[in-house]
Amino acid sequence: MWDFLFQGFAVAVSPLNIALVMGGALLGTLFGALPGIGPINGIAILMPLAYTLGLPPESALILLAGIYCGSEYGGRMSSILLNVPGDAGAVMTTLDGYPLAQKGLAGPALGMSAIASFVGSTLAIIGLTLFAPLLAMVAVKFGPAEFFALMIFAFASMSAMMGKDPLKTLIGAILGIIIATVGVDSGTGVLRFTFDMPELYDGIDFVVLIIGMFAISEILLMLEHSFDKSSDKGMAPIGRVMVSMKEVMSCKWSMLRSGVIGFVIGVLPGTGASVASAVAYTTEKRIVDKEDTFGTGDMRGLAAPEAANNAAAAGSFVPMLTLGIPGSGTTAILLGALMLYNIQPGPMMFSEQPVIVGGLIASLYLGNLVLLALNLPLAGVFARVLTVPKWILVPCIAVLAFVGVFQLHSDLHAIYLMLIIGVFGYLLRKFGFSLAPIVLGFVLGGLMEQNLRRALAISGGESGILWESALSIGLWIAAIIVMVAPWLLGRFKSKAVAAK
Amino acid sequence: MSGAADRVLSILLLGLAAFIAVQASQLDVPFSYDPVGPKAFPMLLSGILALLSVILFFRPGQGGKWPRGALLLRLLGVLVLLGLYAWFFTLAGYLITTAITVAVLAWLFNSGPAKAVISGVLLSIGSYLLFTFALGITLPWGAWLTSLA
Repeated sequence: MWDFLFQGFAVAVSPLNIALVMGGALLGTLFGALPGIGPINGIAILMPLAYTLGLPPESALILLAGIYCGSEYGGRMSSILLNVPGDAGAVMTTLDGYPLAQKGLAGPALGMSAIASFVGSTLAIIGLTLFAPLLAMVAVKFGPAEFFALMIFAFASMSAMMGKDPLKTLIGAILGIIIATVGVDSGTGVLRFTFDMPELYDGIDFVVLIIGMFAISEILLMLEHSFDKSSDKGMAPIGRVMVSMKEVMSCKWSMLRSGVIGFVIGVLPGTGASVASAVAYTTEKRIVDKEDTFGTGDMRGLAAPEAANNAAAAGSFVPMLTLGIPGSGTTAILLGALMLYNIQPGPMMFSEQPVIVGGLIASLYLGNLVLLALNLPLAGVFARVLTVPKWILVPCIAVLAFVGVFQLHSDLHAIYLMLIIGVFGYLLRKFGFSLAPIVLGFVLGGLMEQNLRRALAISGGESGILWESALSIGLWIAAIIVMVAPWLLGRFKSKAVAAK
Repeated sequence: MSGAADRVLSILLLGLAAFIAVQASQLDVPFSYDPVGPKAFPMLLSGILALLSVILFFRPGQGGKWPRGALLLRLLGVLVLLGLYAWFFTLAGYLITTAITVAVLAWLFNSGPAKAVISGVLLSIGSYLLFTFALGITLPWGAWLTSLA
């Protein structure tokens, strides 16, 4: 059953792919370290360029996955040194990371967090290797009705777990699905929402959407932040990046527990690094924080979220590779990237595309080693990136966005559409939406409709087929539980408080 | 004042839901083996969106700070600049448009005039060489050159 791994290592150790793993790790760490650019923006901006290299699909995926994992490593730097999280997954890292840096312990903090990231990733990659083939074997039995229920579950767990505002998460997902309906309807050939514009017949292009949403809207947001002078903070001095064995051992249980938590949450479709690091941090606070030192610069409070968010990143590959349902916003982009190669990830990937799946998983092992090497001794070098001024960074993002879209389409309409989507993304972010649900909705929208229609075609229009099998009933119930449970818990808590 | 922005948004979303419903209802399929057809899914989405926006209207979240004054002007400036960049991208060619756009963009982000000009020139030439020779991307030289030839 694990033959794919041997094939995968054979693929991953080819000179090209080793170079791509290293290049991806380097670029990812760099992008993760850049202030304000998290993993999701990094992948979005670099994805079109990965195409121009004319790589085979497994190599492109290896490069993008390297960038993904690298940016999860790099994201800790601005959290620790500037108290500015690069993205939602790095928010918890600031809680103990920044106090450590203020105490003059920035070097050990960077070292510890690199080791925690490595431990979390390693655990999760092993988990991915063990569980993904098993899950794929179950998933082969999924019919269209089960897939439809699974996607409902993915959206439900996403809206319950992600972000402060479940309502806006759901609205965002619906908007994403709506955007996905633009273009020729694959079932009947009817044009939907194209308004007689030939440019829209093929639907809204994935790359254009992603670049507009993440790169262009980011530029506009950065302009706002640069206007806000209060956000300028001095960087703590780093010193030597090293950490003693004693400190590592004192965090070992925190790292291991958080790695497991991160992996499990990463596997849940729709929830990624941000939830994982929050859950791991609060769990560790409850278990080990006897002297109430969490939040004041406790190494364990730094190790826990870092192990968890890296584990979640690797864990989110499980649903993507086995079910074709991305486990996070960033894997949604990777999934979209695979679909550009006409590869539809799903349960058959392990048997039909062992080169891609195995190559990816094997490259994660290699990339993780490269990343540890990059991030331990060289953390100080990468930290310099934090001081890159906005007036250099922003024009670079703009040029990458324009060239990225232009070289794929050689068409100015695509660039205008990218700008319009950028404004739309900026407005949504100002309204308090996060962009990941929209991407997830966009990537899953087409599949969701296809599976719904396939299921109903099998039953001749009878909607009962959607909750006929035990598997789909289970998924519907799970979806209802994740939606209702937080609300019930909240009510229960507030009643308990009122009773006191 | 809190929640006013979300109320406006909910009305806009409700409008979008209605628009989708109207557009979808006009889709006509002469004949199809597909019992669902292209209408049902958008109709379903429009219904859910309408429901969610009604909920948003009655339970709006805390609104953020909206840009105004000088910041709003600068935001519009960036958008116009990027629009012009796109407009002249193939007409004037990559090198010229990129140099000007980068310089103005850097200046809008408070670089000061000297650094803006230097970064514009260096970044456009440097990125041109990188994209052309390292990544093999063909970038436009500009329509004005071809008309000369």
